[in-house]
Amino acid sequence: MLNRLGTFLTRTAGNKDTAERFGMADVLAYGYLLLGVLIVLVPVLWTFFSSIKPERAVDSFDTRLLPIAQVQTEIEGIGAKPEWIHEAEDGGERKVFKAGPTRKETDVAPIDDPGDVFKVPRTQLRPSEEIRVATENYLDPLLKRHGQENFTFGIYLFNSIFVTVMATLITLIINAMAAFALSKYRFRGRLTFTILIVATLLIPSSIILVSLFFVVWSFGIFGSLWGVIIPAAATPTGVFLLRQYMLTIPDELLEAARMDAASEWRIFWRIVMPLSLPALSVLAILSVIWRWNDFLWPLIVLISDPEKHTIQLGLTQYAGEFDTDFHYILAMTVVSLIPITLVFVWLQRFITTGIATTGLK
Amino acid sequence: MSLAAILMTVLGVLWIGGGSAWLLTRRRYKLVQVPSFLMDLVGFPVEYAQSIWGRGGVPYALLLPNMLIFGLFTFVPMILNFYVSFTGGTSILLFNRPWVGFQQYADIFSCETIFEPRTCSNAGFSFWKGMFNTLWFVAIQVPVLCIVALVTALVVNKNIRGRGFWRAMFFYPVMLSPVVIANIWNWVLHRKGVLNEMIGGTRDQLSAMARMTGFDIVMTVLLAVVLMVVSERALRSSDTPSLAWTAIFGALLALLFGWANPLSLIGLGGSIWLGGALALGLVLIVSSESRHARIAIIVAGILSAVLLISIQFDSVFDFGRYRPINWLVQPNTGWPFFWLVFVFTWSHMGFYMLILLAGLQAIPSDLYEAARMDATRPARAFWRITLPLIMPTLTVVLVLALIRSFQIFDEVYLLTGGGPGRETFMIVQNIYEVAFTNQSKDYGEGAAGSVLMAVVIAIFTFFQLWITRRQSEL
Repeated sequence: MLNRLGTFLTRTAGNKDTAERFGMADVLAYGYLLLGVLIVLVPVLWTFFSSIKPERAVDSFDTRLLPIAQVQTEIEGIGAKPEWIHEAEDGGERKVFKAGPTRKETDVAPIDDPGDVFKVPRTQLRPSEEIRVATENYLDPLLKRHGQENFTFGIYLFNSIFVTVMATLITLIINAMAAFALSKYRFRGRLTFTILIVATLLIPSSIILVSLFFVVWSFGIFGSLWGVIIPAAATPTGVFLLRQYMLTIPDELLEAARMDAASEWRIFWRIVMPLSLPALSVLAILSVIWRWNDFLWPLIVLISDPEKHTIQLGLTQYAGEFDTDFHYILAMTVVSLIPITLVFVWLQRFITTGIATTGLK
Repeated sequence: MSLAAILMTVLGVLWIGGGSAWLLTRRRYKLVQVPSFLMDLVGFPVEYAQSIWGRGGVPYALLLPNMLIFGLFTFVPMILNFYVSFTGGTSILLFNRPWVGFQQYADIFSCETIFEPRTCSNAGFSFWKGMFNTLWFVAIQVPVLCIVALVTALVVNKNIRGRGFWRAMFFYPVMLSPVVIANIWNWVLHRKGVLNEMIGGTRDQLSAMARMTGFDIVMTVLLAVVLMVVSERALRSSDTPSLAWTAIFGALLALLFGWANPLSLIGLGGSIWLGGALALGLVLIVSSESRHARIAIIVAGILSAVLLISIQFDSVFDFGRYRPINWLVQPNTGWPFFWLVFVFTWSHMGFYMLILLAGLQAIPSDLYEAARMDATRPARAFWRITLPLIMPTLTVVLVLALIRSFQIFDEVYLLTGGGPGRETFMIVQNIYEVAFTNQSKDYGEGAAGSVLMAVVIAIFTFFQLWITRRQSEL
């Protein structure tokens, strides 16, 4: 009987004989996925929930999920004071504020009668709390209030977008040109060029840091955004990805256009580019991720001029400067995380399938 | 005016001015064709090349910009690296730098023995410390990354609900920037952060439970029942033991070993590792479908019963007061290194998982159907079908992961800054600090370090190409 019930409950599809049972392997798989949620999503969500907590809750490492803050009340002639609840021995409760330093016996006064100061044991006081989303964590640095002038978010955002967009456009155009040449023309030196591009694939960027600095410096683009955009614009990955895709475009299309006396550039622009749009968009997404998250090379090129910082550099500097202002750091982390998360949620299916199918070949 | 500015101005004038003139004299554009004209202007050099050399000249013109950038910003620096590494001084002008020959290399190699960085000069110490840390890191990171990515790909490839969501979730950290990742994990791993809070809370609760009377007996009975059920399920299936249940049994066995601590009888620690090794052996025996699999499980079951009786749970679960660990800062604990590996896996695993997933989905499903016809068990199907067919993809993943983790910089720089002490100091950070942030910017030494690092990477790459020579398609 029990056995049958178990079969009934764990069967996923099919009749009694062909059913695939929900076996231990499936339990293990779902357990693994659950662990994945815990490890992947929880830290990100935790950061978000922490970023909307008031400064006091962040500083005291309050590990409750909701943004709980102590109520602040404006008291005539004294100013804003945190509100406490005094629990008397007889069970009565009164809202009070501290009129003196916290000791074993603390001076407190009721909110509604600030003149009536009396002593109570510290253990009878508990904070009066409310749930409040601390928007100031976000608004102070963004609007440069309360001494948060150093985080010029607008400039960082502009720089990041400028670098990302320009680098992606240049990458797309020149890589597509190279891929077109390598896939649709027979010419002397084709193999040589292909091997040269493979060779660049084998040179990691971190081993040419020092001498790339010399080259970029001698071109006079050190310290400018172009110093970040240009050196990484030609990517061997991009050329191969596009070349592989363009090989599938039939030559007859090109021949037909040549019959109509179209110039080669127009064939490239009008026929090849639109047809390789899927591969181009994969490369565009990859390029956006690379440029937006780029860290080491911008750190070398742009660090000396705060006006040229990208979001990543700005955030690093900010975190270094205010090592204790965790509430601002967390809020700005969330701000810089939002654009890429939105892009991801929007294009997720496209990105994952794109990288899986064409990203590597 | 800088060289680039002059170049760009001349080029711009020639391109826009000359190009417009050239195009307008040859073609007619209507007003609505302005975009078309602009597009032709962008490709003016290509058009011009076609008009001079015919179609044969076009591919060279198309390749020119890419090759120019590759040449100037990859190949020239590659050669220049050697030159810079033979020069000294702090000048930024190449012709101002005095030639010092092999001095920079000699500095790095001036050790009594390079395997003990403390015996080196200052330059040698940083370099070799960074190099050995990086080699250690690569040796641990690459297998961890490959195994985790493969397991995740296998799980996500299963017939489960919401595959798209799971795939996206595991890939999501790849999209995050290193700075964001470092901030998130700094927050979680802070001494008063949520991880310590969770561990502390769990331990306090367990301790509180352990102090209750009867806890010992309840736990023993409970575990005994669980062990009996699990081992029964493992042994039950028709002719060979079930692998999934054996895995669970193995995990329980490893935990029992850790709790019972049998090695303490001979004055040794680390029983849990012994238990883990035994559990792994058990799983391997079962997965290889050895004839002794049943006997092995039964022996392990008896062993677990003996261990179970020897444990006094109220002392095992009484942890006492928990002292929060400063995960990223406490020296000589190995934790900073562990978390580095963990965070690196966290942030890069998704990419390799996707590649492996594509490889898994390329395996024809009729192979599995044939296997099912022959009543092949899943474990055997994995070793005989999945693994051999995924091998080419796995090799690619291996190569990529190796090159990527050798260049680790962002995560370590932002999470630990190379500390505590020099425990997580990596080679790229050494190059960066020597050349760009030290008081006297020593470009020569940075370049020499880069050259040596390039040699190590080249050795690795050739070694791998040699191993994978049968699978390469190039």
